[in-house]
Amino acid sequence: MNQETLLVGLAGVLAAAAPIIFAVLGETLSERAGVINLSMNGTILLTAMSGFAVAYTTDSLLLGFLAGMVIGALVALVVAFASITLKQSQVAIGFVLALTCRDLAYFLGNPFMGVSGPRLQAMPIPALSAIPIIGPLFFRQELSTYISYIVIFLAWLWIFRTRPGLMLQGIGEKPAAAYIRGANVNVMRYVYTVIGGALIGLAGPTYSLGVRAGWMGTISGLDGIGWIALSITIFGGWNPARAAFGSYLFAFLQWLGLVLQPVLTQVPSQVLQVAPFPLMILTLLLVNIGDAEWVERTLAAMPETTRKFMAKLLRAMRASPPAALGVPFERD
Amino acid sequence: MRSRLSTLFDALLPVLATLAALAVGAVMLLLLKVNPVEAYGALWKGAFGSTNAFAETLVKATPLLLVALGICISFRGDVINIGGEGQMIIGAIMATWIGLIFTDAPGWLVITLALLAGFLGGAIWGGIPGVLKAYFNVNEILSTVMMNAIAVQLMNFLLRGPMIDPSQAELASKIPQTARLIDEFHLARLAPTRLHLGALIAVILAVLVYILLWRTTLGYRIRAVGQNPSASRYAGIKVPRYMVLALLLSGAFAGLAGAVQVYGVNYRMITDGSASGFTGSAGFNGIVAALFGQLHPLWSIPASILFGALLVGANSMQRVVQVPSALITVLNGLVVVFVVSSEIWRVRRQRRRLAAAKEDEAPPTPDQAKVQTEEAGQ
Repeated sequence: MNQETLLVGLAGVLAAAAPIIFAVLGETLSERAGVINLSMNGTILLTAMSGFAVAYTTDSLLLGFLAGMVIGALVALVVAFASITLKQSQVAIGFVLALTCRDLAYFLGNPFMGVSGPRLQAMPIPALSAIPIIGPLFFRQELSTYISYIVIFLAWLWIFRTRPGLMLQGIGEKPAAAYIRGANVNVMRYVYTVIGGALIGLAGPTYSLGVRAGWMGTISGLDGIGWIALSITIFGGWNPARAAFGSYLFAFLQWLGLVLQPVLTQVPSQVLQVAPFPLMILTLLLVNIGDAEWVERTLAAMPETTRKFMAKLLRAMRASPPAALGVPFERD
Repeated sequence: MRSRLSTLFDALLPVLATLAALAVGAVMLLLLKVNPVEAYGALWKGAFGSTNAFAETLVKATPLLLVALGICISFRGDVINIGGEGQMIIGAIMATWIGLIFTDAPGWLVITLALLAGFLGGAIWGGIPGVLKAYFNVNEILSTVMMNAIAVQLMNFLLRGPMIDPSQAELASKIPQTARLIDEFHLARLAPTRLHLGALIAVILAVLVYILLWRTTLGYRIRAVGQNPSASRYAGIKVPRYMVLALLLSGAFAGLAGAVQVYGVNYRMITDGSASGFTGSAGFNGIVAALFGQLHPLWSIPASILFGALLVGANSMQRVVQVPSALITVLNGLVVVFVVSSEIWRVRRQRRRLAAAKEDEAPPTPDQAKVQTEEAGQ
C-alpha cells in the first residue's frame, strides 16, 4: 500500500466517523443531563431515510439535514416527555421507539429504495488542503466532516469550560443540589435531550447524503450503528474528546477490516464483519473493570509497584456514568 | 364496597389502557383516510375470525410467551436482557444441529434433546453478558445487543456454510437454510391447524416460572437482588451469582423459543440474512409482551396472545384496508406506553392508600407484597 492510498483510506476513516460522532455526542449531552435516549438505533435509520427522502424530493441538501435534525429532536422529545413528565422507564420507552422508528424507516422508505439522489461533494479548504499529508487527510472532506470537528470542540468547551456546562454536569450528577442552586432541572433535561436528539438526527443524513449516499432499506447496513454509538458513549466516559477518540477508533477498525479482507482470504467474511462487536464488548470490559470488587481485592494483594501501575492504568481507562443517569427528578 | 370497586378498576386498567391506545390508533387511521371500524374489524377477523385464524394467533404468541417468561425473570432481577433475538438464534442452531445428526434416534428422544439443547444454547448466550455484568461491570443492555449481532453473523456463516441444506448448496440461489427435519421430529399438532405442542409447553412453563419466582428460594433471591442489591448483599446473598443466573435463565427461555420455532413451525432453520428473518422479531416483541404482562409470568400469557393477535391481525388489516404494517408497530408501542403509565399511576394510588391505612399495621397481605415487587419491576 503506497502513501497515496493510505492517506485516502485514513481520510475516509475521518469521514466515516463523522455520523458516529454526531450520534455519540448527542447521546453524551442527553446522558450528561440524566436522560438515556435508547431510541438512537431507530432514530439514525429514520433520519437517514427521511433526510434522503427530503433532499431527493426538494433537491436541497440543507433541507435534508434539517429534516433529520427535526425528526431526531421530535423522537427525543417523546423520550423526554415519557421519562421526565410521565416518569416512565427510560429503557422501556427508548427501546419501543428504537423498534418503531426502525420499522417506520423501512416502511416509509420503500419508494426511495435504491434511487440515486443528491449527495454532499468534497469541499477542499483552499490553502489548508495544499499542506502535504495534513491537507489530504483533514481538509479535503465533505462539509459534514468539518462540522464534526467543530462539534467535538464545542461540546467539550460547553461541558467543561462554561457555566451552563457546569450546571449540566450538576443536573446529571446531583440534580437536587443543582435545583437548590437555581437550575430548573426538568426544563434543562428537556432542553438537553432535545438538542442531543437533534445531533443524533444529524447522523442519519450524514450517512444517507454523504458517507453511504442513498437509501437501501434493510441492506443499508445502518441497523446496529446506534447500538455501537451507545457503547462508544460509555467508552467515551461522557467526555466529548474521549468519545470522539472512540468513534475514530471504531471507524478505523472497520476500515482495517475492509482492507484486510482481500489479504486474509481464508477467514470467512463474517468474522471481519462481526469483529467490531466483540471488540466493543472488550473495550466496555476494560473501561469498567476497575470498578469490579474482585479486581480491587486482587490489586490489594499485588506487590507495591505493580499495584500502583495497574491502579493507574485502570483509572485511566475507567469511565463512570453521571450519578443520576436514568433517575427521574422529584422535588420533595 | 368502595375498595372492591377500586380493585375491579385496577384489574381493568390494562384493558382500558389498551382501548385508549387503540383510540389513538383510530385517529391515526383517520389521518390516513381509512375507516377505523373497517380496519379494526379486519384486524379482529384476521386474529380471531376462524379456528385457523385463532390457531395462527396462538402460534405467533408461543415464542413471544417463551421470551416473555425469560424477560420476567431477568427484569425482576433488575438485569435488562435485550438479547432475546441472539439467544433465540443460538438456541435454534443447537436444536437444529441435534435434529440433523441424530436421524436414527426415536422422535421423542430427539425432540427432548433438541429442546434441552435450545435451552442450553440460549443459556450460554445469555450467561456471557450475565458474567460480564456481574463480574466486570459491563452494561448488559449493550452487551446483549452486541451478542445479537454476533449471533446473526454466526447464523449466516453456518447456514451458508457448514449447515446449509445440501440441495441448496448445489443451486445458484444458495438460500441460507438447513435441511428439513424428518417428519418424526416435528412437534405434535394440537388440532387440525398449525397449532403445535410448543404452545402447551409455553403455558406449562409460565406456571413453573411463576412458582420459581414466588415459591422458591432461588426466585426470592433473584427478586431480592433486583429490588435492593446492597441490602441483599448484607443479607448474605451472593449478588453477582444471582445476576448471572437471572440473565442465564432469561436467555435459556429465549433459546427454547428458537428451538420451538424450528421444531414446531418451520421444521428447518431459515433466514434472509437478518435476525428477524429467522425470529420474526419475537426476541424483541417478547420484551414488549412481558412489560404488558407487568412482568408477571401468568399475565404474560394473555399479553402474548394479544400481541400475537396484533401481529396476525395486522397482516389481514394491511391486506384489506391497505394500511402500513408499521402502523401496527406504532400501535404496539402505544399500548405498552399507555399500560406502563397506567401501571405507575395505579401503584402510586395504592401507595397512598397503604400510607392511609398504616395505622392498623398488619402483616402485609399478598396483594401488598405484590405491589412492592411490581414497583421494583419498573
